Amino acid sequence: MTNNSVVEIQNMVKRFPVGGDFFTALKNVNLNIDKAEFTGLVGPSGSGKTTLLNIIGGLDSPSEGEVNSLGMDLKNTSHGERAELRRSQMGFIFQSYNLLPVYTVFENVELPLILNKVDTQEREKQVVEAIEWVGLSDKIKSPPAMLSGGECQRTAIARAIVHQPTLILADEPTANLDAENSHHIMKIMVRLNKELSTSFIFATHDEKVMGYLRRIIHLEDGEIAKDENIDKPEFDE
Amino acid sequence: MLFKIAIKNLLGAGIRTWLNVFVTAISFFMIIFMSGMYDGMREHAMQVSIETEIAGGAYWHPAYDPMDPFTFEEAHSIPPPAVTALVDQGQAVPVLVSQASIYPNGRIMPVVMKGIMPEQEIVNLPTETLAGRDESTIPVLIGRGMANYAKLEVSDSFTIRWLDANHTYDADEGMVVHIMDTENFKVDLGHIWIPLDRAQAMLAVESDEATYVTYAEGLSVMDNIGEWIPRDVKYLIRDMEALIAADEPNARIIYVILLALAAMGIFNAQVLSIFRRGKEIGTLMALGMTRSRVVGLFTLEGGLNAFLAVIMTVIFFGPVLWYFGAYGIHLGIDYSEGQMGLIMAKRLIPVYSIGLLTITTIIISIIVLIVSYMPSRRIAKMKPTDALRGKVAV
Repeated sequence: MTNNSVVEIQNMVKRFPVGGDFFTALKNVNLNIDKAEFTGLVGPSGSGKTTLLNIIGGLDSPSEGEVNSLGMDLKNTSHGERAELRRSQMGFIFQSYNLLPVYTVFENVELPLILNKVDTQEREKQVVEAIEWVGLSDKIKSPPAMLSGGECQRTAIARAIVHQPTLILADEPTANLDAENSHHIMKIMVRLNKELSTSFIFATHDEKVMGYLRRIIHLEDGEIAKDENIDKPEFDE
Repeated sequence: MLFKIAIKNLLGAGIRTWLNVFVTAISFFMIIFMSGMYDGMREHAMQVSIETEIAGGAYWHPAYDPMDPFTFEEAHSIPPPAVTALVDQGQAVPVLVSQASIYPNGRIMPVVMKGIMPEQEIVNLPTETLAGRDESTIPVLIGRGMANYAKLEVSDSFTIRWLDANHTYDADEGMVVHIMDTENFKVDLGHIWIPLDRAQAMLAVESDEATYVTYAEGLSVMDNIGEWIPRDVKYLIRDMEALIAADEPNARIIYVILLALAAMGIFNAQVLSIFRRGKEIGTLMALGMTRSRVVGLFTLEGGLNAFLAVIMTVIFFGPVLWYFGAYGIHLGIDYSEGQMGLIMAKRLIPVYSIGLLTITTIIISIIVLIVSYMPSRRIAKMKPTDALRGKVAV
């Protein structure tokens, strides 16, 4: 793995048992993603983008091949080690936000810091900063039920960035949002990428998202069909 | 860290938490209440027996065997001086026991006839109603059960026939002077109570003769009583203790059934709660919570659930338990005729022992922890990706 890589995948295959047989979701995937990249895994439903994202995030394991995320060989690590990797160096953004409904915005954003055992004062400072970053300071005490879809996703972004991870994995982050909110969310993430050099990997088939990506990896039937670098993204400012 | 998250989860879940806590509190209440009722029933039986029959204990004539009516004929003499002294001091009451037959409404009924001093205050029987009566008939005190069985009412007369010390049958007219309401069927059914001096005269024995002498509670057993036999409370309640011991497995079965019901209720509530939170578990895993911590978190939430349930039981059900403990529960059925085989109160007062409260709290808490641990352990074994999709199967 090169010093600049955050993800390195070689000859990776992922199969799922279906009935008495196996379904191959990903086959012969070879991929290298460098630090501070703003990358998208793009393809139709069932092409394997979410599966690939989950494997990169250590939420799932490959059936064959090598996967190295943030310097850790995921094939030879325990559940605990992968959890530690996610806790300290990764952030997740989900399509349906996955905010904890009983927590306020502040408490949802605070959670990764509690898991990382950051002390109370430092925690409060970082949470407030992250919430300011996504422009939700006026909703800091609101529960998710009182937020719009865009606000929920901004809270999820704040939760993903609050512990300043190296890599953020976003699975269809704009799928439940209207166009205006989608652009708002993507602009926040572009800013994060540029200012903090945080690497982003998206799984998406939303063209609005694609308009911000600087690298698009096309997946078809579990294989990388095309890997293109975008010199001038459509919505780049 | 887990404690903080668990507290937030519990308090944040609002109605769901309080529903779980309420189910657990109900279980606490039911187990304590039912077991308290059971203990109260047994305690009451013992207490009534001591109050109305046993007092502090008794000294028996050596020939006396209450289970063998044929011994009554010979089982009487003047008690030893030390025992007589107790009687003179008002700290004991002599009872003369004999077989007899009564003829109420032309029917014949065998009874145990007991002569007792009307002025005694050792056992809680209304013997004072036997005092100062007309000499022409024998004043008789009977219990409500006996009255119902023999169809007798106050002022009813009937013939009493007995065998005296000279082995001569004799008969005279008895009259019901009082019908006592007692929960102790052992002083009621098949018993008639008459004044001691009349009994001694009827049986042609010397005055002061008795079959046994019951002494007041708190007195220690004397050893200078000749051939008479001291019978302490422990001996006199042995049949009841044997009955209770025989009943012990039933009590345990009821306790276990109640615990099982409680466990099922709590398990269902916990499984439902965890089932609904599959996505939350997946999110926590994605954020980096290890499987063991997920299990720890849910088990801790279960433990806190039990703790809150204890508090809820004390606050909401404590007054109910106290009320029943103080005023009892009216059973609505009169068991004074001994149909239950055990002395039953008309108003049953539950007894909540420290042991019952402590053991129930510990057992319920352990059950809550186990039923919280089991489903969360299953969930923690799931792939985080399945949990994130809410594919929870427990």
